[in-house]
Amino acid sequence: MRLGRARPGATPPASAAPLLCRWDLDKTYLRSEFDSLRSLLRTAFERAEDKVDVPGVAELIRALKAAAERRGRSALVYFVSASPPQIGAAIRKKLALDGVPYDGIVFKDQLAYLKRGKLRNLREHVGFKLAELLRGRLAAPPGAAELLFGDDWELDSLIYSLYADLVAGRLLPARLAPILRRIRVDPRLVDDILTLAGRAAGSERVARIFINLERRSPPATFRLFGPRVVPTFNYFQTAAVLGADGHLDAEDVARVGRVLLEGAGYTPRRLENSLGDLVRRGVLTPAAAEALGARLRAAGVLPAADGKARWRRVLGALRRLRRGRRKRAGAAGETPALDYDAILDRAAAASGRSA
Amino acid sequence: MPTIAVDAMGGDHAPDAVVQGVAQISLATDIECLLVGDERRIQSVLEGVSYNPEHIAILHASEAIGMAEEPREAVKRRDASLLVGVRAVAEGRAEAFVSAGNTGACVLACAKHFRLLRGIRRAALASVYPRQREQRGQDALALLLDVGATVRCEAEELVHFALMGSAYARRISKVASPAVGLLNMGREEMKGGDVLVEAHRRLRQLPVVNFVGNLEGNDLVRGRADVIVCEGLLGNVALKLIEGVSEVLYDLTNAAAARRVAWRLGLRLLAGGIERLRALTDYTQYGGSPILGFEQLFIKCHGRSSARAIGNAVKVAAKAVRDHVPREIADALAAAR
Repeated sequence: MRLGRARPGATPPASAAPLLCRWDLDKTYLRSEFDSLRSLLRTAFERAEDKVDVPGVAELIRALKAAAERRGRSALVYFVSASPPQIGAAIRKKLALDGVPYDGIVFKDQLAYLKRGKLRNLREHVGFKLAELLRGRLAAPPGAAELLFGDDWELDSLIYSLYADLVAGRLLPARLAPILRRIRVDPRLVDDILTLAGRAAGSERVARIFINLERRSPPATFRLFGPRVVPTFNYFQTAAVLGADGHLDAEDVARVGRVLLEGAGYTPRRLENSLGDLVRRGVLTPAAAEALGARLRAAGVLPAADGKARWRRVLGALRRLRRGRRKRAGAAGETPALDYDAILDRAAAASGRSA
Repeated sequence: MPTIAVDAMGGDHAPDAVVQGVAQISLATDIECLLVGDERRIQSVLEGVSYNPEHIAILHASEAIGMAEEPREAVKRRDASLLVGVRAVAEGRAEAFVSAGNTGACVLACAKHFRLLRGIRRAALASVYPRQREQRGQDALALLLDVGATVRCEAEELVHFALMGSAYARRISKVASPAVGLLNMGREEMKGGDVLVEAHRRLRQLPVVNFVGNLEGNDLVRGRADVIVCEGLLGNVALKLIEGVSEVLYDLTNAAAARRVAWRLGLRLLAGGIERLRALTDYTQYGGSPILGFEQLFIKCHGRSSARAIGNAVKVAAKAVRDHVPREIADALAAAR
């Protein structure tokens, strides 16, 4: 069953052009720990069997592939990681253990930077990721839509938004250069990125940018990125939005929910609350949530019986909320031009606070 | 995990402090919170802070009761967050309710929608406050009840309060046999008038209560009893007196610090001790106090509650649910019959 539309999103897939799903690795796919030097070292030498994936992520990737196939298209899954290639073997083995099909994986050659004495580049990932995303775009089949998945630990929302705007032709290379300089991207990388961006610019391709709120950052932090960026607290929420966008069917969303119920200590009530949160934040329309909720209740993923009455009450309340919000927000559906200066000001202020 | 309904619109700093408190709890525990109030305002506060949506639901209520409103009139407003939340608990959608709102309205809302435990005639509003410890292993907090729900009491009601307070302390403070005292104007059993004399006589004969006799005002802050029983009028005056003395102490300290450099230096030397005293009398860490006597649980927080105080009140409510406090009280009543 296809579901109603999520609020802003992109056009649901109808063509045979493939769907590109690009994933960050640490904190998005893996529950990597690098809060301290010790945990960083432990992560670096961890065996595949000891690596822990974020609950529901493997099922979600499998579901994206399967749903695309049912629609007569392919979903290509790529990982772009700022981790060094030396941990590649363990990562590949982990993905194999999880049964996650993927089509490519790129690591950041930290050793090369170290040899060249480019110590700043070891920690600066914006330039690396942006360049790799653009290279990936140029190598991708024309017309392919993209879904991007990151987290709230570094600057994934900024990197992905810059990339999406460059590909859409909304952000011109001349405007990009001062932004990259302000982030202190290596000047040589800036030149590469500008060249790549000039070649990759075309039309709107990035449908959604999902940010896994691993640090539980307040969702309001991402408002400056517009409705294309969707912060989610768990992969059930991500699956629900993808379901409403037409990339997944309700059964796929239910499967992701079931993984959380069976393996991650979730309860149907917790999943119901997660769905309610999406509607309150204006990510899902009440109609889409209602359609999805009915299927998920039938599948035993959301609370049944009295939960239904409760859900109706929740939706009634949410409709009131949405009515008010619509008046404030105006028409949604298009990604407005982002104010990158304001975004960078805010990022600078936030890093100053945490310092 | 229990579901705790929380009055998002109650208190001097609502909804911000309440929503922030619930957000903190959602990250730190598995307690599910049902925030009751204006959903748009709640959501707006929520999105600006870190929270875990898996543990938070919102129940819309279009009105809010002000702290200074006349309680009897206020509880007539069916769509006020307090009333909507209390009904939600009465209907079984949540197991307990937490509010920092208008105290009188809270008590009346409970009386209107909650059911009294069998055998209980009047509910009691309790208050948890810090006191001196006289013996090892004593809890740092004492329970005073009633502090305003039942202004004038009969002897039987005071006995009920003793049973309820004792059961609550057993479960929440984990005191196996809480010492119960009766607040009076002297320690002698014949003092205080007919009601107190009769209450004393009955309590002394109750084997299920560890009755330590009459207590005087100065015993309130000592460790002689874990539960102090009195009628609402007296309890309220006593509680406000304790709060007032504490506040005056801080005011005097601040005034002294502002007046002379030497005094300021002296206070600086005493800073550690003053900080410990402040921590001891910091109501935010105790969360809230229960309204006892009903089948359902209600935790009343201080009107000035901060996010931390609200979070602690939610934890107390969850603990009371998990430890089956109403059932403990019902069992104590049955044993006393």
